[in-house]
Amino acid sequence: MAPPTVVKVVDLALETIARYDRADLTSRLRQTRTRLLDGRVRVLVIGEFKQGKSQLVNALVNASVCPVDDDIATSVPTVVRHGEKPKAALVRVSDSDGTTADLDDAALERRTERVEVPIEKLVDHVSEAGNPGNREKVTWAEVEVPRALLAGGLELVDTPGVGGLSSVHGSTTMATLPSADAVLLVSDASQEYTGPELEFLRQAGRVCPNVACVLTKTDLYPEWRRIAELDRKHLAAAGIEAELIAVSSMLRWHAIQKKDRALNVESGFPNLIRYLRDRVSGRADEIMRRSASHDVLSVTEQLGSSLRTEQIAQQNPERIQDLIKELQEAQARANALKERSARWQQTLNDGVADLNADIDYDLRDRMREIARRAEEEIDIGGDPNKMWDQFSAWVEQEAAAAASSTFVWATQRARFLATQVADHFAADGNKVLPALRTDPAGLMNVVDGVDITESEKWGPGEKVLTGLRGGYIGVLMFGLLGTFIGMSIINPFSVVAGLVLGGKAISDEKKRQASKRQNEAKMATRRYIDDVTFQVSKDARDMLRRVQRGLRDHFTGEAEEMNQSLRESLQSAEKSMKTSTSDRERRLSEIKAELERLAALEKRVRTLLSAPPPEAVA
Amino acid sequence: MSSAPNLSAAVRGVLRRAVETFRDEPETEQWLRTHLERLDEPLRVAIAGKVKAGKSTLLNALVGEQIAPTDAGECTRVVTWYRDGYSPKITLYSRDGVPTTVPVKRADGALEIDLQGNRAPDLERLVIDWPSQHLRVTTLIDTPGIASTSAETSQRTVSFLTPEDDAPAEADAVIYLMRHLHAADAQFLESFRDQGVARAASVNTIAVLSRADEVGAGRLDALISARFIARRYQAHPTLRGLCQNVVAVAGLLGQTGRTLRRSEFLALVELARAPRDELDALLLSADRLCNAETAMAPTIVDAVPAEARRSLLARFGLFGIRLSTTLIRQGIDTPGALAEELVRRSGLAELREVLETQFTERRDLLKARSGLLALERVLRRDTEVDTRALEAEVERILASAHEFVELRTLTALRSGSVPIRADDGVELERLLGGTGDSAAVRLGLDGDADADKLRQATLETLVRWQRRAESPLAGRAETEVYRIAVRSCEGLLDALGQ
Repeated sequence: MAPPTVVKVVDLALETIARYDRADLTSRLRQTRTRLLDGRVRVLVIGEFKQGKSQLVNALVNASVCPVDDDIATSVPTVVRHGEKPKAALVRVSDSDGTTADLDDAALERRTERVEVPIEKLVDHVSEAGNPGNREKVTWAEVEVPRALLAGGLELVDTPGVGGLSSVHGSTTMATLPSADAVLLVSDASQEYTGPELEFLRQAGRVCPNVACVLTKTDLYPEWRRIAELDRKHLAAAGIEAELIAVSSMLRWHAIQKKDRALNVESGFPNLIRYLRDRVSGRADEIMRRSASHDVLSVTEQLGSSLRTEQIAQQNPERIQDLIKELQEAQARANALKERSARWQQTLNDGVADLNADIDYDLRDRMREIARRAEEEIDIGGDPNKMWDQFSAWVEQEAAAAASSTFVWATQRARFLATQVADHFAADGNKVLPALRTDPAGLMNVVDGVDITESEKWGPGEKVLTGLRGGYIGVLMFGLLGTFIGMSIINPFSVVAGLVLGGKAISDEKKRQASKRQNEAKMATRRYIDDVTFQVSKDARDMLRRVQRGLRDHFTGEAEEMNQSLRESLQSAEKSMKTSTSDRERRLSEIKAELERLAALEKRVRTLLSAPPPEAVA
Repeated sequence: MSSAPNLSAAVRGVLRRAVETFRDEPETEQWLRTHLERLDEPLRVAIAGKVKAGKSTLLNALVGEQIAPTDAGECTRVVTWYRDGYSPKITLYSRDGVPTTVPVKRADGALEIDLQGNRAPDLERLVIDWPSQHLRVTTLIDTPGIASTSAETSQRTVSFLTPEDDAPAEADAVIYLMRHLHAADAQFLESFRDQGVARAASVNTIAVLSRADEVGAGRLDALISARFIARRYQAHPTLRGLCQNVVAVAGLLGQTGRTLRRSEFLALVELARAPRDELDALLLSADRLCNAETAMAPTIVDAVPAEARRSLLARFGLFGIRLSTTLIRQGIDTPGALAEELVRRSGLAELREVLETQFTERRDLLKARSGLLALERVLRRDTEVDTRALEAEVERILASAHEFVELRTLTALRSGSVPIRADDGVELERLLGGTGDSAAVRLGLDGDADADKLRQATLETLVRWQRRAESPLAGRAETEVYRIAVRSCEGLLDALGQ
């Protein structure tokens, strides 16, 4: 949730424009308001097995919401967010036809089943001990606790570390990165970063706005400072920009129980909380601020220009005919902007088509490589029956890694495409409105309104994608995991009493059987890889389709608004032809007052935009 | 077991014949000769595992001296052999086999190995000669960590233990350390397993759940917790077929227990004597213990200077200090008693027992296996030399040597591919030498059972399994297993009769 000032400004804007009878603009601002209130900031807590993720989350929120045990592993992702009363629920999203990607939010809601469970019993459903291999098919668990840290919309996601970052689980967790606002890589202070951990950080840095490294268990390891040093060197060497924060969940718990401030500082948690508040929440707030400001400015923009047009008409009645002609031309241009042939639409459609083809090719390429290596392995490995488990696990892992790489890359490119489309729309949008600016300080400048490019990463395209994150991507987040856990290479070999009993150990008969088994193994592998390729490319295509639809609807909406504004300008211009002089005077002073009101609102928004983020309380 | 010497003799014989046969190919001949010599050398046990799993510490604990260097950052980068020698010596071997002797220096106990400006990748191995009881029986090989940040470093271990071109591994057996079961661990164990002869290398791998004190976040019951976990892993389907035992070991505790110094004991006594709440506050974290200010713990800061505390931490770990002070408070009052208790609790004793039964007692078998693997490789190549007689001999040994049959059966039993009832399975595994090679262990009797008792038990067992083998209800696969059990009993009787 954005800081209250932003919401107030939006409310003020809604009030101000109420009189104008522009249902379209009002509804747009209402949506902005909803987004502000619902805005979530998602922080993924990721790490290898047994590095202290769950302990960390528990210590952050001061509640035992995630299961911790010396032996237990978390098998289901758990989302922790704010709620008035503590409660927990298991969420199952059924996907009868294998994918949830092309559903709109409403359909998604229908497929989602939410079952409340008592918080104490949560461990029975989300840990390996209570729910081994996630046989209960829980998609994710939700926990709500009343905590100040989470009150601003921050949500922490404890992810399964089973099998490690290089396993199937790990790869699919990586695919959830694009949906996160921040990622915390959790690694304990007993050793420096491993290869898989650095690789993960590299990937994360590409798609996540905030990446931080949390070094845990500093209470136990005297050499933790050295490890931190070594880790920082590794990060620098790999060109990864991430903050490193050292903590001890154990000390934090002690501090909470004894209400000992000094101990709390020792635990390092204040640094982590500051990071979450300032960097993560702060940045998200920033984005929401800009986004909301953009919306309000864009709205006042349009209203302003209508009014100004009328003003000009009233002030210069002799020019009205010319004005009307200009407006009509502008309207034609605005219409063109809505058409399929508009440049931004073409960019969008071509871009998506290209992206589809590229993703398809990329995926197939990766999978083909895996298939080739798999067959090689089978050829040199001898009798596949003996190493089947290891082999099939390897193939599944490689496939998952390839799929998540493709997804991460696809997301990056989709974002880039969105910015391109936004640019083209803005550039063309500029030319729509006639150069009627008699007010140089005027805020009619569409460029300003659409192009707030102070932050490189944020643009209207980004805003659209941020909006898309919530519903669909929340589900996709764990959907890929479901795909892979549900799909595994079918073992073509039934259990064989494989006693090699004396005699001719490697006889011709055995050789023939071995090569028959090799063929079976190859076929089974090929089938699996084909299935995976099919499923993943379908998911990717669905994701793109949603992006396309989202962008198209958004910009078409803006074009329509422009259109509407022009229509009104036209109407008022025509009307003004018929007004009497006294009415004209009255109308002009009305317009002046309204313009002042709008200007005041815009000033508020501008102040909001340039205001530095509020100082966070430590 | 009686046929082991026969097996050794047989393998020795065939290798000698092979050396003769290949006398016209000097390279091959030399290679075979090396393997022939290897039969008489001590057993080679490699210690492998991921980075910072605690390999070097465990090696020190086994040898009883702090020789292998250990460090917070990644440490071992070159495969390092530790073998028995009259006097300490360190030799570097470069990639092209050229040896260089390096002066032996110890810093703070541990050896300081000066690579003489060589980079780790340029060295093929380090060989350290060290006079030690333990090394007389076993040569220990310390390896660089798997899944190191430097893939190259890990690759060296992988290549060492599982050479690509089907060459036999340099090690006869492996102690694999892991801190918790991880996909990469299982993968690695699997690849070490697929090594030709008998395809039953589960018998030459022991898994260790290392740094067991950290498993429980340093809580006092950490080791108990770790033992439960180790037991669980032992029954885990992934591990069952790959290694036989999983032992939880707190290497640091073991190492320090075996090398405890009087000064350390005295410092611990001081800590134990301090007021309880002071000590507890200090033991909350490593930082506190080392850097505590006088205000927090006046008695302790006075009695035990920071330097001493820091070195205690490095030697015992936080858990070790918590445990030691508790033990002292409970009444342990001599360094000897503390050392003994620490070693016992660390799991080191259990590990040594397992090493004894799994590796040392099976030495001949493991050596014979390595020798045959080497020979197999040579025979598989294309060569002009007529190797038919040799091949026949190797086949004969493989097929008939009961030890290998037992190995294969053990693997089959453990991987669950033979439908045998669980309690039958436990007894059969034991009888076939799964938990130890001696007659007493195989029969499930005490170690001090006399020959008569053993003979009696063997006969009973034999008759019992014979009856099962003849039962019409048993399936083909089970019958085979019963017959093998009978044969094992016959072998025992042979040995006891002598």
